[in-house]
Amino acid sequence: MQTKFSVKKAPLRRLIMMVVVLGAAIALSACGSNEAKKGTEGKLNIVATIGMIGDVAEQVGGDHVTVTSLMGPGVDPHLYKASQGDMKKLDGADIVFYNGLHLEGKMVDILEKMSSHKTTVAVSKTIPEAELLSDPVAPDSHDPHIWFNVQNWMKATEVIRDTLIEADSAHAEDYRKNAEAFLTQLKETDDYAREQIGQIPEEHRILVTAHDAFHYFGRAYNIQVMGLQGISTASEYGSKDVSDLRDYLVEHHIKAVFVESSVSTKAIEAVIEGAKKMGHTVEIGGELFSDAMGKAGTTEGTYIGMVRHNVDIIVKALK
Amino acid sequence: MEFWIIVTGALVATACGILGCFLVLRRMSLIGDAISHSVLPGIVIAFMMSGSRDSLAMLLGASVLGLVTVFLIQLFQQSGVQADASIGVVFTALFAVGVVLVSLNARQVDLDLDCVLFGEIAYVHWNTMSVFGIDGVPKAVWILGITLLAIFLVIGLFYKQFKLCAFDPAMALACGIPVALFHYLLMGLVSMTTVASFESVGAILVVGMLIVPAATAYLLTERLSIMILYSVLIGITCAVLGYYAAAWLDASIAGMMVTVAGLLFVVALIFSPSHGLLMRWVKRRRLVGVEA
Repeated sequence: MQTKFSVKKAPLRRLIMMVVVLGAAIALSACGSNEAKKGTEGKLNIVATIGMIGDVAEQVGGDHVTVTSLMGPGVDPHLYKASQGDMKKLDGADIVFYNGLHLEGKMVDILEKMSSHKTTVAVSKTIPEAELLSDPVAPDSHDPHIWFNVQNWMKATEVIRDTLIEADSAHAEDYRKNAEAFLTQLKETDDYAREQIGQIPEEHRILVTAHDAFHYFGRAYNIQVMGLQGISTASEYGSKDVSDLRDYLVEHHIKAVFVESSVSTKAIEAVIEGAKKMGHTVEIGGELFSDAMGKAGTTEGTYIGMVRHNVDIIVKALK
Repeated sequence: MEFWIIVTGALVATACGILGCFLVLRRMSLIGDAISHSVLPGIVIAFMMSGSRDSLAMLLGASVLGLVTVFLIQLFQQSGVQADASIGVVFTALFAVGVVLVSLNARQVDLDLDCVLFGEIAYVHWNTMSVFGIDGVPKAVWILGITLLAIFLVIGLFYKQFKLCAFDPAMALACGIPVALFHYLLMGLVSMTTVASFESVGAILVVGMLIVPAATAYLLTERLSIMILYSVLIGITCAVLGYYAAAWLDASIAGMMVTVAGLLFVVALIFSPSHGLLMRWVKRRRLVGVEA
C-alpha cells in the first residue's frame, strides 16, 4: 500500500501513555493552587450578576459588604461570557445574588447547583407567579426583566436584606435600617414613574423600543409597549417585524422611538427610515437603559438613577 | 478548581484531537462548526414538546439533530456533492429552519443556543455529579471521559479501516471494507463528541479543538499515528497554556485555549521541518544559489 502514511504498530498504546503522563503532570501542577481568599477585614464578599442587583446589595449592605458585579455597564446579560477572573470572583464569594428566571441563561443552572455549598440567591424568588409575565406558548418561561417594575425590585431588596441578616446577624440592625431607607427611596421612585408617565396624553402613551424588555414597565406604569426583537437580544428580527412596526408607527402617529444602551440601534433605524418613506417622521427619543445600567459614578450607574433617567427620557419625547 | 477546568479542557482536546485528524484528512474540518449551528431546530422542537428549557430536553434535541446533520452531510457527499458544499448546505439550511421555528413558536422566550445549550468551561467544577459513589467529579469530566472511552474503543478496534477509508476510499472498498459504514461511524462519533462537549464547555472550544490541533499536526508529520499523537499533545498543551494565559489576562478561558492553538499553528506553519515556510524559503535560496 503506497499511501503517504504507513501503518505502524500500537500507536494507540503510546498515545494513551502520553495522555496519562500529561494528565498526571497537570494534576501535580494544579494541586498546589491556593484557595480564593475570603472578603477583606471580615466583610461579606458579595457577587451579583447584573449591576442592578449589585447596586441594591451595596445600598443594603453598606460598610459591612464588598460588592462585585460580574456584568458591567453596557454588557448584555444574554450574551455575557465569563472570564477566568469572573470565575475566581464567584468562587471567592460568600453570597451570590442573581436575577434568575433564565436571565443569566445556563449560568442559572450552575448557580442553583452551587447553592449546595454556597449561598446563592435568586432575587426574583419572592415575586408571586401571578406577577410574572410569561409567553402564552410556554407558561413556564417567564420574562426575566422584572426590575422595570420598581415594586418588583422592592421585593428583591427585601430578599437581599433577609439574606444578609441571615449570613451576618451581628449587623442585622444596620441591614434593616439601610434596607428601610432604600425601600423608601424606591417607593418614591415608583410613585415618580407612575405620576410622570401619567402626564403623557393617553393616546401617545406607546413605548417603542428595539428589544422586548419593557413589558413589566408598561404594565406597572400604564404605557403600551411595542418591541421589535424578541425577549432575547440574540433572537433575530424578521422583515415582517420591521414593516409591521413601521406601519404601526405611521398608523398611531407615534412621535418617538427609543434605543437601548446594550442593544444595537440598527434595527430601530431601519424602522425609522421606513416610516420616513411613508411620510411620517419619527425621532429617536433617546437612549434607555434596559439590561445594563450606566457607568459607575454617574447618576445612571445606580438603579434609581437608571429608572428615573428612563422615565424622564420617555416623558420628554412623548409628551 | 483550576485542576478540573484544565482536565476538562484536556479531555475535550484529546477527544477532538483524535477525531479532528480524520476530519482534516477527509476535508471535513468544519463539521464541528456546522453541528454547532444545525442543532438549533432540535432545541426548538425539544422546547415545543417539553415546554421547558430543561437542559436534559435540550441535550436530547441537540443530539438528535447532531446525528441528522452528520447523516445528511455524509449522504449528500456520497451522492456526489463536494464535502464543503454538503456541510454548508446542511448546516445553513438546518440553522435557518431553526430560526424560522423560533420566530414562529418562541418569540417571547429567550431561546438561543448560547443560553440553553452551550455550557461554559469556567463553571464546570461547580456542576458535579456523583457516579458509583465517587463524589466531587464534575459532570463534564464524566461525560467527556465516557465519550473519550468510546472514541478510543471504536478507533482503536478499527484503526486500519478508518485510516484506509480516510486516505483512499476506493482502495478500501476494493479491500472489502464497508466504507460507508465507517464513514457513518466516524460521523456518529463526531456528532456525539461535539454535542456532549457543547453542553459542557461551549461551542468555540469544541470547534477550535476539532480543527486547529489536527491541522497543526498535519504540518509536522507524514504518518497518521504520529499525527494523532501530535494533535492530542498540541490540544492538551493549548488547554494548559490557554488556562494560565486566561488567568494572566483575566480573559475567557475557552477563548484563550483556542487562541493559543491558533498561535501554535502559526509557529508550526513557519518552522515545520517538512512543510514550514522557513524551510521552503531556505530550500529555494539554496536552489537559486546552485543555479547562480
